[in-house]
Amino acid sequence: MNPDQPGDEDVTAAELALGVLDGEERAVALRRLVADPAFAREVERWRAHFDVLFAQWPEQEAPAHVGYRIARSIAPRSRSSRYWPAAAGALALIAASLLLVVVLRPVAAPQLIQPSAPLVASLDPAAAGPALPAIYDPARGELRIPAGFASPAGRSAELWMIGTDGVPRSLGVLASATRTVIAIAPADRAKFTAGLKLAISSEPVGGSPTGAPTGPILAGGELISS
Amino acid sequence: MSAQSLSGEASAARAALTQALIATGEQDRSAFQQVYELTSAKLFGICIRICGDRQAAEDVLHEVYLIVWKRAGGYEPGRASPITWLATIARNRAIDWRRSPGNRASLPLGEAPDVADDAPSAIDGLLERQANGALHLCLDDLDANQGDAIRSAFFGGLTYAELAARKVVPLGTMKSWVRRGLLRLKECLDES
Repeated sequence: MNPDQPGDEDVTAAELALGVLDGEERAVALRRLVADPAFAREVERWRAHFDVLFAQWPEQEAPAHVGYRIARSIAPRSRSSRYWPAAAGALALIAASLLLVVVLRPVAAPQLIQPSAPLVASLDPAAAGPALPAIYDPARGELRIPAGFASPAGRSAELWMIGTDGVPRSLGVLASATRTVIAIAPADRAKFTAGLKLAISSEPVGGSPTGAPTGPILAGGELISS
Repeated sequence: MSAQSLSGEASAARAALTQALIATGEQDRSAFQQVYELTSAKLFGICIRICGDRQAAEDVLHEVYLIVWKRAGGYEPGRASPITWLATIARNRAIDWRRSPGNRASLPLGEAPDVADDAPSAIDGLLERQANGALHLCLDDLDANQGDAIRSAFFGGLTYAELAARKVVPLGTMKSWVRRGLLRLKECLDES
């Protein structure tokens, strides 16, 4: 091994854990994280190595007003009063945009209320076992997965969408005992078309702490028109 | 990464934080307050160093504790120390903030911190120490450029491109420093 030619040895796992990759290099590494369990374990090992550096991080007293703000934002009563004006504003905007559509495009308006057909995916398990259905309902912007997916003991099953760029994005952790209903963010709904890949990975309870899959893929499949 | 290497006092403090975090997962507001008091200085230190902007760091800190409030139920005591779990969330959120469009104006403080070694705080006592030895020895063993770049990447949340811009070296040079450093780090950690 020649240390002057670092390309000869692969340190991608360490680079991903350290966070130095960006753009296409990061996307390639994230794809590999999904596809290669040994690589995923290597990334996890590097993360644990780097974690010890947190002890060196200098502390800085947070200003008191931030503490108050945070405490207020989790208090149930103030929460509704804080969110209500925003919700009312959003509703007014939606109403205004509907009105515009009706005024400008009267013929197209009925499409707004006509629900499109659901898309389905069969999530085939990596190990033996039954496939798990996932149903995307465009009318409600909801992805539904029935109860019954057995995640490994002491772990959570996290669902990912993998778009055309191949980069996994979390959709949330599957409920263990009940069916899972995931509200898809309006900005993401356009991506829920035939061919979108979905995958379930094994993660620490509560989901990946990093925003990318850290454990092996348990099941996967593609959306198709039903 | 067990608690065995911790002193009795640190071990008790860690148990108290773990308890508070678990209770936070059960939506206990006073436990959440306790988690905030014990950890906010560490987490704010992380946010401000990576964001490089006080106002942004305050907003990211707010977001981090809302995530903690929602996700503490998923904290798994056996896998990570509570402060490592919290610090990871803060670092990732701060990096997300800085990498989102429009937030690149200020460059983060990427230098490796040089003050914390002398005066470890109470919360630092909760961070694992025994693995610390190996990583620090191995990092200290690297060429100055390599070790410095790796520390800057971690503490500043910097990518290769950002590291190269900071140190005013070509991108290829920076990648080569970091990759060589990581390779040697790997060998060194495998040995210890």
